Amino acid sequence: MSDEHEQTSPSTHAVTELRLEGVWRVVVLNDPVNLMSYVVLVFKKVFGFDEQTARKHMLEVHEQGRSIVWSGLREKAEAYAFTLQQWHLTAILEPDETH
Amino acid sequence: MKRIEVKLALPIVAPLLDVIRELADGLKKNLAAPLALTDLDPEFADAWTGELLSAQNDDVHALLGLFDDEFFREGVVAFDEDNAESIVRACAAVRLRLRERYLKPLGDESLETGDVDMTTLDEPLRKAFTCYLFLATVQELIIQHLDSSILES
Repeated sequence: MSDEHEQTSPSTHAVTELRLEGVWRVVVLNDPVNLMSYVVLVFKKVFGFDEQTARKHMLEVHEQGRSIVWSGLREKAEAYAFTLQQWHLTAILEPDETH
Repeated sequence: MKRIEVKLALPIVAPLLDVIRELADGLKKNLAAPLALTDLDPEFADAWTGELLSAQNDDVHALLGLFDDEFFREGVVAFDEDNAESIVRACAAVRLRLRERYLKPLGDESLETGDVDMTTLDEPLRKAFTCYLFLATVQELIIQHLDSSILES
């Protein structure tokens, strides 16, 4: 059985590393199904937001279609996206170009 | 332990269980909200999907467990800090599946506002939309009475 890592060229590996470095944003997208109160609960549960912050992000999702709920290292951003997915919210990751 | 018991109208809720069970079958192999991360390593994405499906099935199992012999005898379901989190998530999963399977003709704006004239719907659509509203009510009840249990768990 071949090992994919052994077949990856150094240049490809460097590009991948570079792409995953830096600051990443966790962005929650709107859906027409989940209740506002449910989204607030999920934000409080997953990110530890207080009621006011959770409501602010929920309203951004509802009114603007998306809200940046966290930014930081890729690995942790993926962990948050996974947890949001467990709660059936749609989340994407975006590189934070301002860093 | 904080516990709430809700008396449901059996003639209204029992027929909805067929819809919920049918959708629960679909959720065994499909995520309610498909993975939106497109740049994950395929093996990693498969592992994620497997874990998410397993958790989703546990949640849906907890939801279906509400409708046991006591429910069919007394019309009563009970929520507590042990099942609240699973059930509130399972309701979200089934509602998302209802949209995919039945409710798209209503349009997303109507689903968001809940502003639908039920008298204009044919029977399968009316039943699906009633189920959608019923599960939202369950979620609201849990969030209203047990959100601190969920946040502290």
